[in-house]
Amino acid sequence: MSYRKFLKKMKPKEQREDFKKGEPKSIGTSITENLNIIKQKTGNSPDIIIRMLTFSHDPGVSTAIVHVDGLVDNPTINEFLVQSMEDSVQEKLEEKDLFKVFSEKVVAVSSLETLKDWDSLFLALLSGDTVILADGKNEALIASTRGGERRLVEQSDSEITLRGSKEGFTESINTNTALVRRIIKNPNLWVESMNLGKQTNTDLSIMYINGIVDPDTVKEVRQRLGRVDLDAILDSGYIEQVIEDESSGLFPTVTHTERPDAVAGNLLEGRVAIFVSGTPHVLVVPAVMIQFFQTPEDYYVRFPISTLIRMLRVFMFLISLIGPAFYVAATTFHQEMIPTDLLVIIASQTESVPFPAIVEALIMEVTFEILREAGLRMPNKISATISIVGALVIGQGVIQAGIVSPAMVIVVATTAIASLATPNYDIAISARLLRFAFMLSAAIAGFYGIILGLIMLIVHLTSLRSFGVPYLAPFAPLELKSLKDTIIRGPIWSFNERPESLHPQNPVRQGKHQKPLPPLKRRMVRADTKEGDKNES
Amino acid sequence: MNRKWIIPFFMAIYLPLLSGCWSSHELKDLAIVSAYALDKNEDGTYVGTFQLINPMNVPGALQGGASGQNPSIATYTATGGNPLEVSDNASTKVSRDLYFAHTSLLVISEELAREEGLATILDAMERGLEFRTTTKIVISRDMKAGDFVQVLTAIDQVPAEKAIKSLEFTEKLYGENVATDLQKFIKAAVLKGKEPLVSGFTVEGDIEKAKTMEQLQSSEGEATIEVNGIGVFKEGKLMNWIEGDKNEGTLWVLDQIQQAPVNIDWDDKKAAISYKVVRQKTNVEAQTKDEKPVISVHIRAEGDLRVIEVPVNVTDPHVIFRIEQALQQKIKDEAEAAIHEAQKTKTDIFGFGEKLHQSDPDSWKKLEPKWQDVYFPALDVDVTVEAFIRRTGMRNNPYLFNLNKKSD
Repeated sequence: MSYRKFLKKMKPKEQREDFKKGEPKSIGTSITENLNIIKQKTGNSPDIIIRMLTFSHDPGVSTAIVHVDGLVDNPTINEFLVQSMEDSVQEKLEEKDLFKVFSEKVVAVSSLETLKDWDSLFLALLSGDTVILADGKNEALIASTRGGERRLVEQSDSEITLRGSKEGFTESINTNTALVRRIIKNPNLWVESMNLGKQTNTDLSIMYINGIVDPDTVKEVRQRLGRVDLDAILDSGYIEQVIEDESSGLFPTVTHTERPDAVAGNLLEGRVAIFVSGTPHVLVVPAVMIQFFQTPEDYYVRFPISTLIRMLRVFMFLISLIGPAFYVAATTFHQEMIPTDLLVIIASQTESVPFPAIVEALIMEVTFEILREAGLRMPNKISATISIVGALVIGQGVIQAGIVSPAMVIVVATTAIASLATPNYDIAISARLLRFAFMLSAAIAGFYGIILGLIMLIVHLTSLRSFGVPYLAPFAPLELKSLKDTIIRGPIWSFNERPESLHPQNPVRQGKHQKPLPPLKRRMVRADTKEGDKNES
Repeated sequence: MNRKWIIPFFMAIYLPLLSGCWSSHELKDLAIVSAYALDKNEDGTYVGTFQLINPMNVPGALQGGASGQNPSIATYTATGGNPLEVSDNASTKVSRDLYFAHTSLLVISEELAREEGLATILDAMERGLEFRTTTKIVISRDMKAGDFVQVLTAIDQVPAEKAIKSLEFTEKLYGENVATDLQKFIKAAVLKGKEPLVSGFTVEGDIEKAKTMEQLQSSEGEATIEVNGIGVFKEGKLMNWIEGDKNEGTLWVLDQIQQAPVNIDWDDKKAAISYKVVRQKTNVEAQTKDEKPVISVHIRAEGDLRVIEVPVNVTDPHVIFRIEQALQQKIKDEAEAAIHEAQKTKTDIFGFGEKLHQSDPDSWKKLEPKWQDVYFPALDVDVTVEAFIRRTGMRNNPYLFNLNKKSD
């Protein structure tokens, strides 16, 4: 039974109270009545600002502008909107239809539209638009004045790179889509927006490159998002959990990133990005496992170096997965594998330790997890204290008290560093959890247990799908052409095709023969260098 | 519940029960045996002595412990009808599980090796789960094997390691003995046309004092463990010892020289020129001529000059050629002496019989029954040597050469 079905079953029988029941659906003609409805529905909240405007030449015509304090851009309203309304009314006195005048004349705001129903009006109002009501009109004019205080575009904290763009996404969905548009200036970059969450009415956009992306994937994304009927969407994590293929598993089947260049790269491979308002984390689907070991920076440095780094990451992942398990298995089952001198050293260290190796390992791992969690949530000033206490407790106290052997501390510390070296937190955290399972199986059956665990893990991974794409692609099923951008990172000039597993509409990525060639004639080389020399200081 | 999860669930439940933790040993419960010595009692039972590593006292392993102040080994002795029974009996004395996977040295007393041979003993070692077939075998000459493993050693704190290191380094640097492990011994022992060689060890000095910490408290030590001779086995029993120059000659023929020094006399001066082999290859070829086996041994050596104590002009190719000639003669003499010695004792330690078996199986079948006793001693062995001087060390002519010129 899938999580979604489970959710549906658990839904309360009585439908949630529709707050508009029995009330007028569309806007009436009387401005006083309309304003009263607004006041009543928002519970007279003081941050809903209502300004009555009367025009000097004709006091009979009364209009009102309504906006939410803090969500709007105040200068736009004061300097452009109100001012230009005044001016336009004075210019075209004879015109009866005020809204038509406004629409034509108020060019200072980016968009104006008319609405007739309350639902849309409130959505616009609460999104930061300004509502203009006029007496005798059964419709409202919506001026786009979204603004207010927001975080600026800053470097992302969770995905830091040395090379490449420093821009990170913000909490504003418009800023985020714009950041990607700035990278891909192509009319085929399509955005679809929607509104999800019964109570929060959160803005959501899906973005893809038409002509590259597999239309079936887009359809699937639309369909899965269409099924979402949550009360609130406070972060993209909410969406992630209800559109995932397997949300009860340990491994993430949706990636998220804070970097526009990562999103752009993924769109160009034929993936779909899902932007959620209020979070800098943009979801990217479909996700394959190897993606979690890649960073955008890999493509910015020369390929042998990024290949080495990617291999290192996979190796680190393995260490963080089975490091302590390996140690436990080797010291309790397979002592013959350890070189004699090393065995003597380890034996002398464990001589005074009162616990079996597995208990030792569990004590240290749990202590480390506690320290990590404590350090993560605390304010900076306190976390320094925690790290000092942690270093003393782990590094010194535990060893001097003879409770844990130094070799075990080294193993746990290496594992900890290894798990921090995995670039993606989601996959690192899976390894963190599985590590305990591996430690237990190693304590029960040694390497045999570890191998059994690994086999089960691989079987599980091969069974996973992300939006129809096998999770272990391109390894299983094997796609030879796509292998050059996995654990190894081939040269940019060899990436002639997009990944097969994503079924891109346009599989050809770039022209052939992109490999740089030196000039054919030797003489030309000399001439070039000479010229270059002149320019140099 | 979901059917999908039932099978993995039960797998997970039964997994620990099926395998259990039967082979799990905590390190604290292991007594790591570094060397195993076997003697024979007067009543015919075996006496085994186990050299156990005491991890707390091994220097380098930190914390507590009295590292360096107490012996880094402990020894236990037990008796029994076979090697396995010996170790079973020993477990009544040792508080831990005797663990043989790191046993690197098997010491057999000369007495036991001569009278009973190794054939009956080694099966227990080879069959056992823990014992490695790469364990080195040595023979304690003129002393009890048990005493040998009780002697403490400086520098290498675990005596078994010290013995193995001296064995391997003398083999590599001086070409004077052979490091034979269990596997190699058994392989050679079962072949008709080859006999195994095992290095001998002696302890010079006061053995009883060498078992106490006094041994480690003086720079000289009370007694020293040293490599001494190569034991020749025939039909699994120790026959005799090869010593001195014949050691090197034996290794030349066996193709086991790696870096041996060769000293030659020059102008009536003994060991005036020393030559160090850096590369060596020996080819043994066996043929039958007129129904008679003929063995030809071809030795090819390359090396450097290391000592020149006579004024010779080594920049002169003719002089170099003469030195090479002398070297060839010297190596040839050594090799021939070793072969004659072996022929005298009627033991084919060089595996000439095996060579013949490979090159001419038909005639080997005829020769096989009487190979060791009749054909091998009468064998015609043709030894040819090629020696090359590749470098003359860090200088050309010896300063003696210039000194003499000055006085002229």
